[in-house]
Amino acid sequence: MATDPTNIKVVKEISQPGILFRIARMPNSGRLFAGSSDYKVYDLDTAADEITPVEMVGHKSYVMGLVKTEAHVVSAGYEGQLIWWNPENHEQVRAIEGHERWIRNLTQSPDGGSLVSVADDMSCKVWNSESGELVRTLNGHDAVTEHNMRNMLYCCAVSPNNEFIATADRFCTVVVWEMSTGKEVARMRAEELYTWDPKQRIHAIGGIRSVAFSPDGNSLAVGGVGHIGNVDHLDAPARMTVFDWQKQEKTHVFEGDGKFKGLTEQIVFHPEGKWVLGAGGDHGGVYTFYDLEKNEVIKQDKAPMHIHSLALDESCETIYAAGHNKLVVWSIKSEEEVEPAAEDPAAETDKEAS
Amino acid sequence: MARSRKSFFCGSADHDMSRRNFLGSSVAAAGIGSSVGAFRSDLLAEQLKKNDKRVILLWLAGGASQMETWDPKEGVETSGPFRKIQTSTPGVTISELLPKMAGRLKDTAIIRSLNTAIGDHGNAAKLMHLGRQNEPNLSYPDMGSVLARELGRLDSSVPDYVTFYTATEGRGNAVGRPGFLGSRYAPMFLTNGNSPDNISRLESVNEFDHKERADLRDLLSRGFSRGRVSAQLGSHNVAYGRVRGLMASEKLFDIEQEPQKVRDKYGKSLFGQQALIARRLIEAGTPFVKVSRAWWDSHGQNFETHLELVTELDHVMSTLLDDLEERGLLENTLVITLGEFGRTPTINGSLGRDHFARAWSASLSGCGVQGGSVFGETTEDGQQVKDGEIGAAELFATIYKAVGVDPHKEYHVGVRPVPLTDPGTKSVDQVLS
Repeated sequence: MATDPTNIKVVKEISQPGILFRIARMPNSGRLFAGSSDYKVYDLDTAADEITPVEMVGHKSYVMGLVKTEAHVVSAGYEGQLIWWNPENHEQVRAIEGHERWIRNLTQSPDGGSLVSVADDMSCKVWNSESGELVRTLNGHDAVTEHNMRNMLYCCAVSPNNEFIATADRFCTVVVWEMSTGKEVARMRAEELYTWDPKQRIHAIGGIRSVAFSPDGNSLAVGGVGHIGNVDHLDAPARMTVFDWQKQEKTHVFEGDGKFKGLTEQIVFHPEGKWVLGAGGDHGGVYTFYDLEKNEVIKQDKAPMHIHSLALDESCETIYAAGHNKLVVWSIKSEEEVEPAAEDPAAETDKEAS
Repeated sequence: MARSRKSFFCGSADHDMSRRNFLGSSVAAAGIGSSVGAFRSDLLAEQLKKNDKRVILLWLAGGASQMETWDPKEGVETSGPFRKIQTSTPGVTISELLPKMAGRLKDTAIIRSLNTAIGDHGNAAKLMHLGRQNEPNLSYPDMGSVLARELGRLDSSVPDYVTFYTATEGRGNAVGRPGFLGSRYAPMFLTNGNSPDNISRLESVNEFDHKERADLRDLLSRGFSRGRVSAQLGSHNVAYGRVRGLMASEKLFDIEQEPQKVRDKYGKSLFGQQALIARRLIEAGTPFVKVSRAWWDSHGQNFETHLELVTELDHVMSTLLDDLEERGLLENTLVITLGEFGRTPTINGSLGRDHFARAWSASLSGCGVQGGSVFGETTEDGQQVKDGEIGAAELFATIYKAVGVDPHKEYHVGVRPVPLTDPGTKSVDQVLS
């Protein structure tokens, strides 16, 4: 996995009408499933010369969650439904009423056994990924903010060891739960990602829109937008904060650059922790690669569109991004791939001699 | 029922001879010094309930989205994530963000076909306050001033026109103005807290002394005016009466005077508290109260903003209507939701909606309204009015008619007749009972 974020290049841009909120990738391929604002899930092969999306119809509102399980594709809609699809014939296998209010996100445990959904009924639910059985409901986020406004439960993540779930909300409260028991084990707040305007406009903006565990499971990265003066707009830098969640302390606070504004809608870690990628935007798009070890930004730039979802291929050299009216395929392959060292014949002779 | 006025009436408050004066005399007889108590007497309250109309305007400053309130769409590019829900009126759907109002639409009419064309906050707000374009040589009064004039009492001891606008954004766009009606009908414009400044009795003057001073002033005034005929004397006495009345009405602005369970119903939000004060004011005889909820201008994150604000509106509006109904006041009180415009069906890159005045909505509830009715229709994508297009003039004509004011009556500025609404303007009778 020789990646170099500074060498990012657009490989392909694919127009797709609507707002693509979530993507899930079929392993070892450029085939993506994309959840859209037109209530549909699309199956499209980004590697094809001519891309002809196949429609999967079943949701009654925005598709806000999409996961590829071993046997299925599972989608989650704003209307509260979870739908299991057969990825080959695109037919519905199962549809359940997952939540009472708007589902905001869906993720999967790394071992593939569980699905985790979050919704504005302020509950996080754990499901058996193949049977659809509800395993557990986690309640602990407040229904209203301290400003008496309705709260929203935006995002969730599962730790690499499958033991913990993190959920985060509009008021920027992050809660970590034990997967096996549902017990709350940590609670933190990233208040820098929430703006309440008590005077000019008397409402809020912001919230934690993305959350991800680091590969070693010890850190939790959350993303959103910085403090905003005019809450009519996303007029502040895209930001990321990292917690040592077990100590419930912030370890990294990336305040962002005013040139690159908007929400950080999704965060993905390099599997070896070499970088963290956050992407999102406002009217336009933005992406940022962070180096946590050096506590610095490796690369930040405009994206072709406001990004809502990311997926990496197995090598991490290819990044798929989805958002407003398009999909983008990026390459971050390093230009200076190190050739495997040639075998030294002399070293072989010495080895035989000894 | 329309009230007609003599065509030569100059509009002067001093010359207004109307039923209102008679009622005002009744109030005077009851004692202005205890004006709040007088208004709350059973007989007078009954009179109020039968004859007197009131208006509460919930001013949604900044432009609330019609798609996320009264005119939702589904399954189209412009619809957004929220769905339609059935209301208590069969066949009528509104946004799922208004579940409480959906359950009690029996008193509410929805107008979905406003096309007012102006898309900047300042000029649009002015239009939706005046009901017409202003003229350079004539300063029109706004809705509040007109209704204060038409529905109020000449010698009222409570404010005629109260406006709440606590947020700072857009405040300058929404200032009511009496125009040619004169300062008598200017609004009490509250921007800092929920009660007027400087109407409290000085701490150095106790209640007994305050009343004694008033009685002495009345005594001396009656003695002075014996044998003298003077419009100025009358105005002077009325002015003192109004000041004392305003001071006495301080408690109207104090929600602590309400039982806790009533305050709990309205909730902790500023909007809710001010709606409760509005109810107290109209119950005491204030003809027009505007409660401004700013700021709906969701250029970014429209769905999140409306989730917050429409949830609040749903609760406050439904609570207010329930409260008015329980008190027997709803049949004589018109509650309006209105802003300066709506929002674009097209969703921008920040998931926002921008200014849009071509096809948007307002609601009317209570007095004179055909509950559950819907007037007008927009296209499937919400981009245009499909049927029943109206402008500000028609909306204002409808509002005036709902509360028994003839929308075609004329004021006079000098010798120039000035109609309340432009000639030929028709009210939307389909939403009136």
